Amino acid sequence: MEDTYAVRAVDLSKTYGTGQAEVKALDHVSLTIARGTVAALLGPSGSGKSTLIKALGFVSPADTGEVFFGGRLVVKDGVPLADLASLRRRHLGFVFQKANLTSFLTARENVEIACEFGGKSDGARRARELLEYLDVAGREHSYPEMLSGGEQQRVAIARALANEPSLILADEPTAALDSVRSRNVMELFRRVAHDRGAAVLVVTHDHRALEVFDVIYEMEDGRLRPH
Amino acid sequence: MNLALRDVRRHLARFIGTAAGLGLLLSVVIGMQGIYAGMVDDATILTRAMRADLWLVQRDTRGPFAEGSRLDPSVEARAAAVPGVRTARPYTYQLIQRERRGAVLRIALVGLGWPDDPGRSLPLVRGRHLHQSHGEMIVDASLGLGIGESLTLAGEPYRVVGLTKNALTSGGESVAFVSVADAELIAFDQPAEAAMLERERVVERLRRTDLGRGQPALEDLATSPRWRAPALASPPLAAVLVQADPHRLAEVREVMRSWGDVSVYAQGEEEALLLGGVVQRARMQIGLFTVILTLTAAVIVMMVMYNLTLEKTHDLAVLKLMGAPGPRLLGLVLQQAWLLGALGYAVAYGMGAVVFPMFPRRVLLTDTITLVAPLATMAIVTLASALGLTHVMRIDPSRALEA
Repeated sequence: MEDTYAVRAVDLSKTYGTGQAEVKALDHVSLTIARGTVAALLGPSGSGKSTLIKALGFVSPADTGEVFFGGRLVVKDGVPLADLASLRRRHLGFVFQKANLTSFLTARENVEIACEFGGKSDGARRARELLEYLDVAGREHSYPEMLSGGEQQRVAIARALANEPSLILADEPTAALDSVRSRNVMELFRRVAHDRGAAVLVVTHDHRALEVFDVIYEMEDGRLRPH
Repeated sequence: MNLALRDVRRHLARFIGTAAGLGLLLSVVIGMQGIYAGMVDDATILTRAMRADLWLVQRDTRGPFAEGSRLDPSVEARAAAVPGVRTARPYTYQLIQRERRGAVLRIALVGLGWPDDPGRSLPLVRGRHLHQSHGEMIVDASLGLGIGESLTLAGEPYRVVGLTKNALTSGGESVAFVSVADAELIAFDQPAEAAMLERERVVERLRRTDLGRGQPALEDLATSPRWRAPALASPPLAAVLVQADPHRLAEVREVMRSWGDVSVYAQGEEEALLLGGVVQRARMQIGLFTVILTLTAAVIVMMVMYNLTLEKTHDLAVLKLMGAPGPRLLGLVLQQAWLLGALGYAVAYGMGAVVFPMFPRRVLLTDTITLVAPLATMAIVTLASALGLTHVMRIDPSRALEA
């Protein structure tokens, strides 16, 4: 039976430094994000949000604990049990604080290359569709530096959606946007989660659009709790 | 999607500028190789064009190009008499410097063994070989003389009847070919006053001897304007060139080696002497310079590739985070390096085609250079991209998550 959750983290802990300089970035964190859910992760700077995103995104694993993806145990106590780069390529989408588009590729190529990495054969068509879906089709031939912050973020979201990911991780995606564009982006995530059945975890400081989220978590000193 | 080409397209002007810079550097490296090849070719054309199987020179010398060689003229007849010898020709070689229309002409004057050798073996680009033993010359086009023009040497005009191309000495002097008799006339040319004084001394000596008193006609001979003092004894030759039956060459050589007054060199040995003696230092100098230039080019390409990679660190981290396969990212660096090398070589080649012909010394792009240079360029850029490749492998994808 296929699990209804996209990702499940069980008892994740991670420590930086040793002795008196020791910092517990993750302290026995457990979390489940179901498909079609848009979740917010709140918390002050240094609370461990980015560390959790890195652990869930298979970029930097936790020291201890387990991560299940699509019902399969893929990381246990910091040891990868699957090809994590392949998982990222095919099943994960990332959206960053800054759009982080590849500077030497046009908007469409930024999406197309993600399709290519994910093994999609019709990358160009899919890229056009996604840019259209996100209302930036008119800028498909523009380089990132020619796009506004909002347009860049939309292209970044299109890129994150390129491979129909099960999980989208967004790290403060609206930090560089004004309130109107910020709300638009949050609503976009909600639409993506509900329309496409992806799980979306958004790290944010922005409390103005919290009603958009289905679940809200808060982190403090490496510990996670419902908001 | 080819990431390397996309990156080049985005920074096209800078990439072309870098390739042009590399091309200029490579053109210097190729040019140095070409200068060396030209020097060797120029130097050996003098020996190859003579088509001799054996060179007889003064005993224990490495003449006539590496050092002076003075051979008694009788050696020519002696050599011709050896069984198995087809022809034996005299050969003289000397450097002269003359002025013509205010310009200094440095000429390597080669005497051809008329009538056996009127210069048929010379690589003529225009005109003809010598048709008469006196007053005609074949010159290299680099002297700037045209067919029909005359050059006055030893008080007599020498008409240019044929032109060669790239007949230069290892020192870069243009070669002129005349008959041996003319070469000797020119070599022993004396100023008029010196000739008159010498004639007077000879006449004085004749008048003091029984021979002079008994044969007054000798006095008339000595005072003739065409008389040259050394003509009383035939002037020495620089070498005697021998052609022999191929199957008797070893035998002929053995006979001639037994003579006490000559050293015998085969054609290849004579070329080796010429290159080993005269060109060796230039070769080492150019070789070392080329090595330094090649290393400089490699270091510059390495730094260019490293900087190009370094400034893409964030882009590469994002691509890694997206799960880009390692070979795709390594390919980005390598393909750019190869493109840079290919463009650089094209610039160097084009530059060479335009500029090298203007050089005062010949820059000869041999088949070896034309084949090896692009391969070496690609090898250099591949090695030079190692630093960039190492950087790509070390990029942590989590850097993409940092603000």
